[in-house]
Amino acid sequence: MSRPSIDWRAVRIVAASSRLALPRTPAGGRLGERLGTGTGSSLEFQDYRQYAPGDDLRHVDWAAYARSEVLTVRLYREEVAPRIDLVLDVSRSMAVTDRKFQSYAELCALIACCAASTEADTRVITSSSVEPVPLRRPEDVEGVLTCEASLSVIEQPHLPLRRRSLRVVVSDFLFPQDADVIVNRLARDGASLALVQLTLREEAEPAIEGGYRFIDVEGNGELDLVVDGKAAGDYRARFNRLRLGLSRAARRTGARFVHLTAGASLRETARSLASAGALEAV
Amino acid sequence: MILTAPLGLLALLAIPAIVAIHLFRRRFPTRPVAGLFLWQVIRNVPEGSGRITKLPITASLILECLAALALALIISGARWHPSGVSPHLVVLLDDSASMSATNPQGESSRDRAVRRILAEVRQLGSTGRVTLIQSGERPSVLLGPAALAAEVHAALDKWKPQAVHHSLALSLRLARELAGTSGRILIVSDVTPEVRGAGEVEGAIWTAVGRQLENVGITGAQRTLSADEGMAIVSLTLGNFSPSAAHRHLRIVTTGGQGTEEKEVFANDLNIPPDTSSFNVPLPPGLPPMRVALSDDALRRDNEVVLVEPHPQVVAIQNRLHDGRGKQALNKALDAVAGVTRAEPGHIVFEDAAEIAAPVQSGSWPVAFGRPPANMLDAGEPKDFAGPFIPEKRHALLQGVTLAGVVWAGTLPLAAGRLHPLLSAGTQPLIGLLGRQPEDGILFNLDLERTNLIRAPDWPILISNLIEMRRQNLPGPERWNYRIGEWVRIRLDHDPKAPLHFRCGDVERSLPSGRTLEFIAPAPGGLLQVMEGNQTLFELGVNFLDENETDLRNKSTAENGAYSAEARGLRIESGPAFDPLFWTLLFIAAAALLANWCLPRRAGASS
Repeated sequence: MSRPSIDWRAVRIVAASSRLALPRTPAGGRLGERLGTGTGSSLEFQDYRQYAPGDDLRHVDWAAYARSEVLTVRLYREEVAPRIDLVLDVSRSMAVTDRKFQSYAELCALIACCAASTEADTRVITSSSVEPVPLRRPEDVEGVLTCEASLSVIEQPHLPLRRRSLRVVVSDFLFPQDADVIVNRLARDGASLALVQLTLREEAEPAIEGGYRFIDVEGNGELDLVVDGKAAGDYRARFNRLRLGLSRAARRTGARFVHLTAGASLRETARSLASAGALEAV
Repeated sequence: MILTAPLGLLALLAIPAIVAIHLFRRRFPTRPVAGLFLWQVIRNVPEGSGRITKLPITASLILECLAALALALIISGARWHPSGVSPHLVVLLDDSASMSATNPQGESSRDRAVRRILAEVRQLGSTGRVTLIQSGERPSVLLGPAALAAEVHAALDKWKPQAVHHSLALSLRLARELAGTSGRILIVSDVTPEVRGAGEVEGAIWTAVGRQLENVGITGAQRTLSADEGMAIVSLTLGNFSPSAAHRHLRIVTTGGQGTEEKEVFANDLNIPPDTSSFNVPLPPGLPPMRVALSDDALRRDNEVVLVEPHPQVVAIQNRLHDGRGKQALNKALDAVAGVTRAEPGHIVFEDAAEIAAPVQSGSWPVAFGRPPANMLDAGEPKDFAGPFIPEKRHALLQGVTLAGVVWAGTLPLAAGRLHPLLSAGTQPLIGLLGRQPEDGILFNLDLERTNLIRAPDWPILISNLIEMRRQNLPGPERWNYRIGEWVRIRLDHDPKAPLHFRCGDVERSLPSGRTLEFIAPAPGGLLQVMEGNQTLFELGVNFLDENETDLRNKSTAENGAYSAEARGLRIESGPAFDPLFWTLLFIAAAALLANWCLPRRAGASS
């Protein structure tokens, strides 16, 4: 399998008009430029409360004290920098064909660019056993896209997800799963979650093609099968159930879910992500 | 189409095996997928036992079955030929030299025989099989067994009849063996079976293609040395098998083998009377081998001989007997034998028996008369015997010895086991060998002074036998000129230091290493050289000399007999390389296997 080549210029052009969709009030983060849910030191007024020893005297509302002789302090909204955890599936299934690998690489590049435009603290998680890779610039994502693992990162327990982080998960989700369990695990303690499923067209809708020996690229066995109309129909039904399960589980946890087909153009991909709420216009 | 090995059809069992394999385990092009589990739940092709689904008629199945069918047909020996049986003709060629005799038009019996055979072969057709047998003392297969008819012409071109007269019995037996129950036998000769001595030959056609011809040939030849006259003599026996005298030119030239220039030593025109006549040519002694040739006539084979001058083997005699009538009688008998000389050391040493234990020169045979040493004697007095005598008749010493009226006098009793008796009287050995061989010593238990043996006719015979026994043990050939087919015996005076072989014209054969050489004088004859490595040891003459073949008056043209009606023809056992079906099947099998190997790969690559 050859390494995909990413046209970063094209990716930047598409990503220029979009950025990763953030929740209206980010749950937390380091001190930054985004308004947080708690009180802080921004210029945006939030509330009053009675002075307590230790409060910053600079926040005492002296005018109110003059009117009421009660020491009152002004409370301001805090400003935070959002955290983004990009969870990328680097198992061999994402590179089952060159076309899928290429689309996957372009998708990751697009998301990386969009994440970068949010000025967020972005990390890429590819395995529970490997330290997450900080994404200082979008091109850094290219280095992690090896796609040689035999197990998807989503199947691994104890992912190094940060609290109140914005989580974007990209995978084909083609492994036996309980969608509710997976989505709940990914969404737990997170600020938001976006699930992006990337599959080939024939993985979603196989044509009737005759007999094949199917070999699982991740080493999960082989299967001789004559693909006829019934078999293809059964497969499509199972795949749709898998996709629908993910979609429903995402909806239940407030996450976003989008299914993409490999081979689509970058603009179509961005449009699909935006329509699903994973990207937003700048 | 025929099958030469029908059991090979068992290989067709491979086809149901292939079908079963396709039913239970199909071979599909591989295809890597990401979510195998999505297919597994609808899996309906069990790997092992399970419900048999409808057999998919795939290209792989068809190609494999096709390859199995083609290979099974190859194994079962499939051939195109519809019948598989060819007519088989076994031809026995009379290889007698008379078949080469030509009429005034230059046509020989061999030429007529070839035409007759080719006509018969043409009737067999292109599928016919022919076996040609060349008769002789040792018949040989000239073509075949069961060769293609197209090869007959070339084989007959090589046939040059030149053998001496021989029986056809062995050749006919070989022909019948090769014909078996499948072949027809054709015998081609220049005489009828009655003249050839074969009687009536059943189940075969005897074709005589001979013509009565007048012929003169050399039927006997000798080259001798006359010691008295100091000259050599070439004696020829000439056969004129015509009703009138014939004029021929006789020429004698010396020949020393290859590369030696010939030199004429005699030439004369002869008027040869009908029937057999002799002709002697005196020549100086010491000349090299000679070629004696008569001018050409119907049969050239009998017009030429090669004669080698004999080197007489003189036996040296040493007479140590004490003086007396015995010694005189011995000298008298020795004088009567040719090729004997007195010399020391002698090849034979005559001595008194008392000295028998004394060593003699190597190569000498001690022959003792009289009273043996005391250690050989047993107790008892000498006796005289007048018979009956018990000789060992096969021994060369006693050939022609009768001992009628002989009184064997002065016989002493000998200790048991000391002699190997050749002549006995009762239990008493009269003549005996002191060992296993004559060179160990011969003892005559006889008192020469008293016996009447020395006055009997048996005395010179005994002495002559003894001399000839010794002469035959001397190194060199027994004779110097032979007929073809005679046994040649040569004794060497040393152990050979290089490989022995003989060369006679184009014939060259190696000989077993040893002091005694024995071989058959080879055809076609000529000057035979016995060689040790590159050194020529002896030169011998080998000649045709066959009156039966020289006489062409009994040759005739006739055809007798009929082919056996039971000849079923020969089942074709031709190799697969000659059959187009073999190559067709081989191509089909190879193409099917190759395509079957390539198809899944292409399908896999395209997927």
